[in-house]
Amino acid sequence: MSVSRDNPPMNRFTVFVALLLFVSSGYVTAQADPITVQAWLVLGSSKEQKDKMEVPADIKKKLARVFKWMHYYQLNSKQLNIADATTKTTKLSKTASIKVTNRKNCKIAVSLYSKGKMLVQKTQTLRPGSYMVLAGNTGTDSAWFIVLSKDK
Amino acid sequence: MNENETQLKIQALVDGELTGREAEELRARLESDGGLRALHARLTAVRGLMAGAELPRTLPESGDFHWSQISKAIGHGEREARRLAKPALGANWLLRWVMPLAGVACLVLVLSRQQTTMPDLNILLGGDHELELTDDEIDVMTFNTGDDAISIVWLDYSIDLQQDSLQLWLD
Repeated sequence: MSVSRDNPPMNRFTVFVALLLFVSSGYVTAQADPITVQAWLVLGSSKEQKDKMEVPADIKKKLARVFKWMHYYQLNSKQLNIADATTKTTKLSKTASIKVTNRKNCKIAVSLYSKGKMLVQKTQTLRPGSYMVLAGNTGTDSAWFIVLSKDK
Repeated sequence: MNENETQLKIQALVDGELTGREAEELRARLESDGGLRALHARLTAVRGLMAGAELPRTLPESGDFHWSQISKAIGHGEREARRLAKPALGANWLLRWVMPLAGVACLVLVLSRQQTTMPDLNILLGGDHELELTDDEIDVMTFNTGDDAISIVWLDYSIDLQQDSLQLWLD
């Protein structure tokens, strides 16, 4: 029984190409595209406040589904264009700011600072159409929300 | 010797159960006592009548056979009592090892099921979410909505919502 000697070089070439594709695909997926993140500082209240601007309807709808407050007012809004593997910081109020990092695999890391001190850092995959919300109560019958979403 | 004893002696003489000397003495008395002689004659006649009428009875087995059966039954009873008093080796091993191990396994199963089965509170926790806290004194609650459209981190912390006047001017 004779064994063909023509196949081994072909097999080596195929394996080499497959390896190259595998490595290059991994490199491509490991890269993070530049992203645009929208951040809103929102006040949730049970009382209507005519001097304040309401948040966009889709955000209000989503927040009202979860929380008890009837009115959601936009106190500040920022748009952040973040390049691959970089971090941008923005101030949302006199003492509160956020630091957003564009990480690989569609992940973002958001750090919340109050009076220069980091309170919390949340890392997650943020897909277009979904929201990350950092929130807490205020002294009165209201609450603060920092709503973040990623543009498509 | 009273009369009853004398009658029993005559009965024994008729049955041939008296020894030679006693039989000689009683026969001597029979010669002189008419009453005893009459009794002897009556008992001899009755024995003669019964000897022909009595059916022979033979045992199906010898006496030794019955004794051996009784001995066997006693031995078997003793062995059975000893077996019941001490559990068998297999049952002993089962009680000592298998039953406790089965109990521990059941306990582990129940505890593991309790740990893995979470109550359904319509709160979803995403697998790719990471949360880092820098202040242990702040109470934090995190959850996702059912459709996974919003992930929420709720802090028991009040931030100052007042806007920076310089920033407002720049905006």
